[in-house]
Amino acid sequence: MNSSVSASEAQPTATAKLQQELASQAVGVTLRAVTKKYGSFTAVENISLDIPAGSYTCLLGPSGCGKTTTLRMIAGHEDITSGELLIGDRRVNDLPPTQRNTAMMFQNYALFPHKTVWENVEFGLKMRNLPKAERIQRVDEILEIVGLTKFAQRKPAKLSGGQQQRAALARALVTRPQVLLLDEPLSALDENLRVRTRSELRKLQKQFGMTFIQVTHGQDEAFALSDQIVVMDHGRIDQIGTPEQIFQMPASRFVARFVGDNNIFVGKISDVLQGNQYAILRLDVDGIGSFLCRGQAADLGMTAACCVRSDSMTMTPYPPTDPTLPNQLTARVVAIEFTGYVTRVSLMVEATGAELTYKVRSHDWIANPVQEGQLVTLSWTTENCVFLSH
Amino acid sequence: MYKTWKGVQPYLLATPQTLVFLLFLIFPILMIGLVSFWEFNGYTMVPGFTLSNYADVFTEVSLRTYLNTFKYVVLVWFFCLAIAFPVSYFLAFHIQNQKLQIILFLICTVPFWTSNIIRMISWIPVLGKEGLINSLLLNLNLVEQPVEWLLYSDFAVVLGMVHLYNFFMIAPIFNSMMRIDRNLITAAEDMGASGFQILKEVILPLTAPGIAIGSIFVVTLVMGEFITVRLMGGGQSASVGKLIQTQIGSLQYPLAAANAVVLLIVTLFLVAGILRVVDIRKEL
Amino acid sequence: MAKISRRYVIRTGLAAGAAIAVTRCASNTQQASAPSGTPNNPASGPEVNTNQVKDVTLRMIGTGVSQINEIRNKAQEDLGFKIDVRALSTEENNQIAITQPGQYDLFDGEYFSLPLVVPSGNLQAIDVSKIKEFDKIVPIFTQNKFDGMKVEQAQGTYPYKVMYLQDQDSKEFAAEPTNWATLIPFQYNADTLGYRPDLIGSTKIESWAQLFDSQFKGKTSILDIPSIGIMDAAMVVEAAGLMKFGDKGNMTKAEIDQITDILKQQKRDGQFRAFWKTFDESVNLMAAGEVVLQSMWSPAVTAVKSKGIQCVYAPLKEGYRAWGGGVGLSKNLSGVSLDAAYEYLNWMLDGWMGAFLGRQGYYSAIPENARKFMKPAEWDFWYEGKPAAEDMVDPFGKTLEKKGAVRDGGSFKERMGNVVVWNSTMDEQVHLVKKWNEFIAS
Repeated sequence: MNSSVSASEAQPTATAKLQQELASQAVGVTLRAVTKKYGSFTAVENISLDIPAGSYTCLLGPSGCGKTTTLRMIAGHEDITSGELLIGDRRVNDLPPTQRNTAMMFQNYALFPHKTVWENVEFGLKMRNLPKAERIQRVDEILEIVGLTKFAQRKPAKLSGGQQQRAALARALVTRPQVLLLDEPLSALDENLRVRTRSELRKLQKQFGMTFIQVTHGQDEAFALSDQIVVMDHGRIDQIGTPEQIFQMPASRFVARFVGDNNIFVGKISDVLQGNQYAILRLDVDGIGSFLCRGQAADLGMTAACCVRSDSMTMTPYPPTDPTLPNQLTARVVAIEFTGYVTRVSLMVEATGAELTYKVRSHDWIANPVQEGQLVTLSWTTENCVFLSH
Repeated sequence: MYKTWKGVQPYLLATPQTLVFLLFLIFPILMIGLVSFWEFNGYTMVPGFTLSNYADVFTEVSLRTYLNTFKYVVLVWFFCLAIAFPVSYFLAFHIQNQKLQIILFLICTVPFWTSNIIRMISWIPVLGKEGLINSLLLNLNLVEQPVEWLLYSDFAVVLGMVHLYNFFMIAPIFNSMMRIDRNLITAAEDMGASGFQILKEVILPLTAPGIAIGSIFVVTLVMGEFITVRLMGGGQSASVGKLIQTQIGSLQYPLAAANAVVLLIVTLFLVAGILRVVDIRKEL
Repeated sequence: MAKISRRYVIRTGLAAGAAIAVTRCASNTQQASAPSGTPNNPASGPEVNTNQVKDVTLRMIGTGVSQINEIRNKAQEDLGFKIDVRALSTEENNQIAITQPGQYDLFDGEYFSLPLVVPSGNLQAIDVSKIKEFDKIVPIFTQNKFDGMKVEQAQGTYPYKVMYLQDQDSKEFAAEPTNWATLIPFQYNADTLGYRPDLIGSTKIESWAQLFDSQFKGKTSILDIPSIGIMDAAMVVEAAGLMKFGDKGNMTKAEIDQITDILKQQKRDGQFRAFWKTFDESVNLMAAGEVVLQSMWSPAVTAVKSKGIQCVYAPLKEGYRAWGGGVGLSKNLSGVSLDAAYEYLNWMLDGWMGAFLGRQGYYSAIPENARKFMKPAEWDFWYEGKPAAEDMVDPFGKTLEKKGAVRDGGSFKERMGNVVVWNSTMDEQVHLVKKWNEFIAS
């Protein structure tokens, strides 16, 4: 990746020109009540979504949630059953992929194994019947930018994972698309390379000011890359927001569970108070305790849930200093997992059998350890307890 | 001690295979090579050294027989490819249901459920002078005399061999096509390739190893053909295999051996030629 | 080639093993030392000899009697020992006879094969004195006489030419009768052209030359076995006045070259529809109407007829091409097995088999013995050339000829008396095969 950085710096004119061209044409993507059905199976149900021009959006969700189908509908590789798809202000529902001005980067890159890197990158231009001279100029230019000039005559099998990824990127960018669609572009890389590549991608996106829409099932990836995250489940959108919003204020139990180590409690709303910015709700959880959480106003007596992030809790020895305070519970340490920077503690509430996770900086844990089997008190502030409406 | 054992082990493991290979492939071929230099009279062969058997291979008639065999090879190869490629393409890319795909592929093997000879003979009532096709043509008044070139002709020989060997072309091509990552096709579409361009730029080059393997099967099979040539050619058509068969039938073993050696060399050259054009290693 | 050499060794070994085993069984029985009650050695006593014969299995390869299971079954029943048969094509039969002597005890082949098989030394001379009715065998075989007359016009490998060996261990044929025979004949016939009267129009087929008649262009066939096909071709070419032979049965190289050139020309002109190699092929070609006139074997004509399709075995003015089949003894045979083999040869001549084959149109080595097993109507039809007094039924129950029909070509005397050439192995056999291949490949 470093080579690509230095290469792009060494070629300010080419990069700048392309940058200008791409940034000036970046457009947003809008989905209005889009549904995709395969026979009786609904893969994507009635989703509406605004993706701003020049933004980096991640569609996040487990496999089968409809995120890839959504991406493929945008690209034009799947028909839209109902609803509208706009790229910029053009309705593109019925346009073939090439006329949508999108380009797609595939999982495992889908580089043609029988063609050299150069031929791979040239392919889209050749299909568009561009004159040979222009093809040569544009391919050479983009290979320079991604730093693959030296590898132009190699077959993809002779490239490293990172180089393949850059070749795929070059192939996608060479046609100057308005929107770049990325289908799990990092999943084929090992952990280290993935982290480096992902920052590279983010840098490129910013540099060219293009609209990137990426599908991923990794929350880290989504957090690291996105301006906007779209969390999907069972063909629907669960939550749209910035990474911070998703992280801090998950909107549903699914998001809370999927996004991170949240401990989720289900109970009945017994009180609703009005706080400064939020409503404060009291949730009674059978056998565990009574928790105050922040959220929107909701009906009394309704069954609802709240979540507390496992790293937002405080662990103190049992018994609690003041048992009458809300937002605390008693649990027994079941297992301790040292994972490096963080130590993960698994606990169980004896009365109900509910399992919890507590995460703490290993540094702090080592200073103040607890043995397996011990009873402890976990507590948290109302600020850290989020009400989940569904 | 243990170290020596470790060193010897791989050789021991390879020994049975090597012995079988030597005994049933190398040794017989060497014997054929040896016998091809022997002399013979009407009823038996005599150890010796003569090149006259090879001189007989390079006579005009033999060479014409070789040319005729090449003609069959080229025609059968061409028609097998012309049929196998679209069939495999249809199976691999147009049948989405995997079960149906397997069923249809198995249907391609149906001709193999009965013996070669029966398959050949069953053409006779179809192609003969009083056969199905001729009856139909006569009844429709399309012809006045039965069409004779349908049977006992080069047409019939080629038809019979295409019928016999088509599957050897379909299987490797289908296999190659099934290995093509579907994302490559989507990617090509994404970059604006038309159906024909995808075929030409992506599918065809990636199917080339399968075509090469199929071609090797078909070419080697047709090079040694004699049953189809005899049955479908009505005994009138010539091929090297049939020449060898007749020579063996007439107890002219050394002559047959010389022909077999030449046939083997020619076939190896053809295979080498195919391998030069296409790299099949990724299929193996 | 390699296979054959290897097999040769293995088979010879097996044969040796078998011989040892047989000898041991025999000696065991004689000493009565083997446990009694085993199938091989049931008991000792006065039945020793018959039991010994019962233990024998004779392996037979061939193109004639070997093809018919009914004959084998009857022989096993009458003789009490086992016979394993392998039905082969003429070519395979010769190949095995010459190259794999360990595979057979009895050789059922044609007389024209003998110039190839006898020099291999794989057959042992048959002691004529052990053949009870040898004197009754038609003199065509034993004396070169027919109907009391010396046979002079016959060319080719006529049976008498290869009937006798000079002495027991000789590989040379004797010019005069000796006590040592090569084969004991069991069937023979006079072959000619077969045709479809319903498909050839009003033309009468009376000469071999008509095979080359342009009227039948693309509708004729000839058989693709060099030694037989060349004789038919010679009959045709000679009848058509295209060339003359010194001896059709033993052509010179120049004659072979000339006749194959004529054949090649005919092939180029599209005279032939196909060539056939097996009996069934000739039947199918004719029955399917692919061919209307072709060289054919007598039972093939009856096979076509039994499908309800008209077919005539044309008596031609130039005469017939004949062939003869007989059974010979492998050099492997000795002791009890050899005795059994002689029993088989004698059984073969006693008439049952002759009658069986006679009902298919073949002639028997001793016609008067065959007659004992035939109905008078059958004898009259097949041998005397008289109209069938009743429907003629073959041994398998198929009706071959309706009442009133007359055998094509007439009586035994008319047919066998008009033989002009026999299937041949020529001195220039190697050259013939080479040229024949050229013709087929051209």
